[in-house]
Amino acid sequence: MILRKTIPRTIKEKKFQYAGVIILLMLAVMLYVSLSMAITTLEERNVAFKQDYKQETFHWMSSQPLSGAEMSELEKKYDLTLEERSYQDINTDDTTTLRLFNKTEEVNIPYISEGEMPQQLGEVAIAKTFGDKNGISIGDTISIGGTEVMVTGYVFLPDYIYMIEQQTDLLSDPSQFGVGVTTSETLEAVKGTEQHQTLGWNTSNEVPDELRSEVNNRSTLLQFVGHDDNARIEFVESEIEGAGSLITTLPLIILALSLAMVLLLLKRRLELQRKEIGTLMALGYRKSELRRNYLGYAYVIGLTGTILGIIVGAALSLPLSDLYANYFNLPALSRFDFDPMVLVIGFIIPLVLLLILTTFVINRRLKTEPLTLLRPKEISSGKKSWFEKLPWFNKGGFIRRFRLRLLVRSKARSFYIFLGVMFSTVLLVFGLITFNSMDRLVETTYEDIQTYDYAVHYSSLQTDPTSGGGSPYTMAEVKVEGEKVSLYGVEPDTDFLKLISDGELLNERLNDGAVVSRPFAAIHGVKDGDSITLTNSFNDDEKKVEIAGVADVFIGSSLYLPHEEVNAFLSYPEDAYTSVWQDEKPTQTDNVFLIEDKQKVIDSFESTSGATRNSVIGMSVFAVLIGVIVLTLLTNLIVEENSPSISLFKVMGYHDKEVSKLVLSVYTPIVFVSYFISIPLASVVLEQSMNSLVQQTGFIFPTDVAWWMVVIGFVVIGLTYWMSLALSKRKLKNVSLEEALKKQQD
Amino acid sequence: MSILVQDVSKVYQSGEVQILALRKASLEVPDHKVVAILGPSGSGKSTLLNVIGGIDRYDLGSITVAGETLEALKDSQLTEFRRKHAGFIFQQYNLIPTLTVEENVEVGRELSQNPLDMKEMLMKVGMWDKKDKFPSQLSGGEQQRVAIARALIKNPEFLLCDEPTGALDEETGKKILKLLQFVNKTYGTTVLIITHNQGIGEMAHKVIRMSSGEIVEAYENENPIAPEKVTWA
Ligand SMILES: Nc1ncnc2c1ncn2[C@@H]1O[C@H](COP(=O)(O)OP(=O)(O)O)[C@@H](O)[C@H]1O
Ligand SMILES: [Mg+2]
Repeated sequence: MILRKTIPRTIKEKKFQYAGVIILLMLAVMLYVSLSMAITTLEERNVAFKQDYKQETFHWMSSQPLSGAEMSELEKKYDLTLEERSYQDINTDDTTTLRLFNKTEEVNIPYISEGEMPQQLGEVAIAKTFGDKNGISIGDTISIGGTEVMVTGYVFLPDYIYMIEQQTDLLSDPSQFGVGVTTSETLEAVKGTEQHQTLGWNTSNEVPDELRSEVNNRSTLLQFVGHDDNARIEFVESEIEGAGSLITTLPLIILALSLAMVLLLLKRRLELQRKEIGTLMALGYRKSELRRNYLGYAYVIGLTGTILGIIVGAALSLPLSDLYANYFNLPALSRFDFDPMVLVIGFIIPLVLLLILTTFVINRRLKTEPLTLLRPKEISSGKKSWFEKLPWFNKGGFIRRFRLRLLVRSKARSFYIFLGVMFSTVLLVFGLITFNSMDRLVETTYEDIQTYDYAVHYSSLQTDPTSGGGSPYTMAEVKVEGEKVSLYGVEPDTDFLKLISDGELLNERLNDGAVVSRPFAAIHGVKDGDSITLTNSFNDDEKKVEIAGVADVFIGSSLYLPHEEVNAFLSYPEDAYTSVWQDEKPTQTDNVFLIEDKQKVIDSFESTSGATRNSVIGMSVFAVLIGVIVLTLLTNLIVEENSPSISLFKVMGYHDKEVSKLVLSVYTPIVFVSYFISIPLASVVLEQSMNSLVQQTGFIFPTDVAWWMVVIGFVVIGLTYWMSLALSKRKLKNVSLEEALKKQQD
Repeated sequence: MSILVQDVSKVYQSGEVQILALRKASLEVPDHKVVAILGPSGSGKSTLLNVIGGIDRYDLGSITVAGETLEALKDSQLTEFRRKHAGFIFQQYNLIPTLTVEENVEVGRELSQNPLDMKEMLMKVGMWDKKDKFPSQLSGGEQQRVAIARALIKNPEFLLCDEPTGALDEETGKKILKLLQFVNKTYGTTVLIITHNQGIGEMAHKVIRMSSGEIVEAYENENPIAPEKVTWA
């Protein structure tokens, strides 16, 4: 069909408008494809690594190792594979710890990605991220615990995908902590305390019910961790799950926005060409032929947008995957690690949606009789809406009425401007809140509330009085409504824990009941005055407590009670404690199970904040870009549609500036109203999504909007709007004087 | 008889008021003739032409064109009817602005199984040397020539022209009329021309005068004159 030639020519003539919608569509597809490819890569690698290298179902540590006979008895009884593993924590320098394991054969099998598996005495393999961050590569010799060893390869461990030192750590920081494997002989040769653990694996990947108590009967259990509770394994899975909603929601919103823009543009095109369509119908063109022709616009926009989006998205997924690789230690086991369905969905869904919707719009236009199309439209648009008949509408001068009419007549435009601003604002505020939250999270939790420098955890109950200003406390894991909770028994007058809520100290309230952390309150949906029941996981004892306050502790689902009360509940001696908070660096390490160095935690937060800051900047750029495109497209269309009036104003002697004020600034109030509605909305939406994710992440971001965010957001959105106005003013300048006369002719 | 209009009435509902655009109009047009439809503005000329051409419906009566009874046709059949038999010329030319002269004519050519030759057509309307120009680069008369070529190239039996010279000056207008007469002679196309220019009646084989939706007068010219001799009003 020769008509097809009109499409590229029209698009070229209106290149800015079409480029705008194509970019919007591209951004939606790009975002979806890049995020999905990165996430599915992560998922595929995780699944493959987990299965092929027998990731543990659970592991335990007991005071006395079980005998070989006992182990095989348990293996038979519960259909398990059990394997012993030893490790040592080695300080390679003041702040860095390497956890060196002996290599296992049956559970948590190490994977060597480069180099060789250590075979001989004095050979080790280390995690690549740890090596990178500490300047160690294959072939280097490092000194561990006084022994010189050689690095023969890079290793991945299935139970250290998220490489954290302690289960309670929030952030992985390979510059401070890493893992490695070596032979049993090398491990024994290193001077230090060797820890032993038993790894268990079964095909169903479920911890047998009775196993835990049975092991506890044979030897005292110090620790028993199922894979569900193992952050090193679980975190990557909750990340995959959590990212799932982001991957679909954000691109879908942008897709909806870009589809709306395409339809707007196409409706406008069909309106502009109504005479042409009428002529073609009169000449004898069939509706199906005309439909096919006008669908050409949708094909051009859809194909260009999606294909560009897929290409850019696929390219972008590579650095994104690298970013993930810094967080999660997963080997690339196969060549195509992503799910190819991502490409299919990223291509098919936007295109099909676009075609269906445009068919709908085109069909509506083609229903009109050819004669109606051939007649000029003025008759129908001359009607006044009910709104324009209201008495207040007709008050004031003609300029006021003209502007009001502009607003009312282009309801759809006004609505889309509102939506566009809302979308950009929400995205921007998300970014600003996240930016701020990292700092607030650290400041409040680690500086204002936890005022200690070290927390020392003992491997057995202590009763000796603490030396030198330490504050003893009891910590235990209990269950509330089946969910795990960290229970803290603390001295209410301790100087090392200031349970603060909005600046108010809640420690005194511990005498009236329990104080809980923010994640606890969110997970269990409780507030001041509610009651909850604690269950001791070991003996099913229960205790009912009333909640006396929610402290600004943003990390971990925790519950604080007075020390004696907790000891009584757990049937510990009255003055017993499991841990001590203190300011001095602990010197004696007898019986010490773990030392928490708060500064290290803060440091690792700081070191990841760079990445967060970058993604926040990326998000803001994205928000502004989409805002500029949407607003420019809309104001452009408004100028185009009103070009006869604009031309008339010019003929009458109005200056361009005055005309643009008259026509374009009508929408300014909408922009600002939308902005101020969107700010609280963003905060609420973010809070809701944080709450829905808290169970997986275990932390909550403070989501309050600070006044400076409102100011920054206002400036950014204002600039965005100003920029799109500037772009449309150029178009307004180009409206010719003849336009007014031309339009009246036909 | 190639066009037969019998007692056709058409009512327009315009808000509260009903307008009788055609009142029991009857008309016979033999093949290969030029017919002029005269009458004041609002007398129903366009309505008559549109119902004959199958781009509008009527309420009463019957129209048979080229063997097809129009009131019996569905919308899609009406489209096929126009595609095969009718060519339209409008006062405003209605060319597609993003297509060149040749491409605009191609739009008409694609509708036919056995179209006329493109070069011959463009030579006949005198637009061959401007075939690569866009409508915005042409004068009104030239644009109307292209529109005529677009309607003619599919070799229709009828050419329905609604005030084809309405927007043109005398000299250009006469050239267009000459072209229409030439088309009628060369291809045997039946040409219906609406005009409120009385003089144009002198070049037609048959003249119809309308008033308030009625055909008040119909007569035949024994000796139609050449368009350049028409008294331009
Ligand atoms: N779509 C329409 N709606 C209402 N009235 C119409 C419509 N089209 C034509 N008319 C009326 O029908 C009458 C005949 O119109 P028309 O055939 O266009 O006259 P002419 O072509 O002779 O000027 C006029 O009174 C006109 O106002
Ligand atoms: Mg008319």
